Amino acid sequence: MILEKVKAILVEELDVEEENINLDSKIKDDLGADSLDLFELISKIEDELDITIDEEDYGKLVTVGDIVNYITDKQ
Amino acid sequence: MINTVICSLLNIKYPIFQGGMAQISDAELAAAVSEAGGLGVIASGNNTAEFIEKEIRKIKSLTDKPFGVNVMLLSPYANDVSNLLIEEKVPVIITGAGNPGKYLKLWKEAGIKVIPVVPSVAFAKHFEKLGADAIICEGTESGGHVGELTTMCLTPQVVDAVKIPVIAAGGIGDGRGIAAVLSLGAQGVQVGTRFLLATECNVHQNYKDKVLKANDTDTAVTGRKTGHPVRVLKNKLVNQFKEIEKNNGTVEEMEQLGRGRLYKAAVEGDVDYGSVMSGQIAGLVNKEQSCKEIITEMFDEAETIMKNLSSFISGGSNE
Repeated sequence: MILEKVKAILVEELDVEEENINLDSKIKDDLGADSLDLFELISKIEDELDITIDEEDYGKLVTVGDIVNYITDKQ
Repeated sequence: MINTVICSLLNIKYPIFQGGMAQISDAELAAAVSEAGGLGVIASGNNTAEFIEKEIRKIKSLTDKPFGVNVMLLSPYANDVSNLLIEEKVPVIITGAGNPGKYLKLWKEAGIKVIPVVPSVAFAKHFEKLGADAIICEGTESGGHVGELTTMCLTPQVVDAVKIPVIAAGGIGDGRGIAAVLSLGAQGVQVGTRFLLATECNVHQNYKDKVLKANDTDTAVTGRKTGHPVRVLKNKLVNQFKEIEKNNGTVEEMEQLGRGRLYKAAVEGDVDYGSVMSGQIAGLVNKEQSCKEIITEMFDEAETIMKNLSSFISGGSNE
């Protein structure tokens, strides 16, 4: 469920194809996000999944899998 | 007299901040702005806490008025600087690139006003949630590190997105700019480029001359690929950057080229191979004046314009 929601947000925010998103896809290197995109992404995830992501943890969110794990742990 | 909530929030006469410009905004410039009724701002840049402490002591000896310190969160000394600012009971902290999250709480607990500079609505909302007292939204017209959006587009969208006061920055060089951003919903202005020409500004005269001579199309943004794009006046160094960009150069190559270049321009006066950071409004700013003259002229002009704008409105409707 979480992966599906994260994928949907990534598709919308980064204009990438869903089939190109895997758990080990790197947000910046593979999906083409820059720092501003990453921030918008995080804000969207916070709003839609109703969680707060601490600023200190931004650096940990390198791959799609990292994001899914982080959200799972928070919920 | 133009009076906004920013005046009472920070206890200043004019709702104007002087932008924190690395290597340039020192205690002397900031003191002159504060004495003139605005908020003078000392730029921390990548300086050590010891260096910044000296500047803070200096400004306190030059003025009793409120002042701010711009903290560069990406600096290796950010931690020490943050603690210093709390010890020194600095009235206002302005944050630039980087995430102030963990410091913001400490600063607020110390009774300091915290005002982050943001390039987008998402950042503005984020900082409001964290407890910022106001937001500076900075358009791409500004000099130095820039975002993508223009002041014209960014300001009203940020104003709509947050409840805290918004200060607009980027492209404001005279009273018209002040009147314009107040119309967009801002409660104050931040000005950088025009203050480069203040008599109290210690930047090298060559740098000032280049800004004086500049016209509207003389700035360029370099280093977009690095994620830290910078607006500067065109010169030989910019051509070198463009070559690297044309040949698909790496981020490392660009960062290597950029190292130490602001110091070269601002302190050593090499305006050919130094980074002459400046906003697009450089074409408009054309005289050297004291901070007091700059501020009173800008606000007198803004007030006249705002009073005269109603002359566009006639009795009937536009049918």
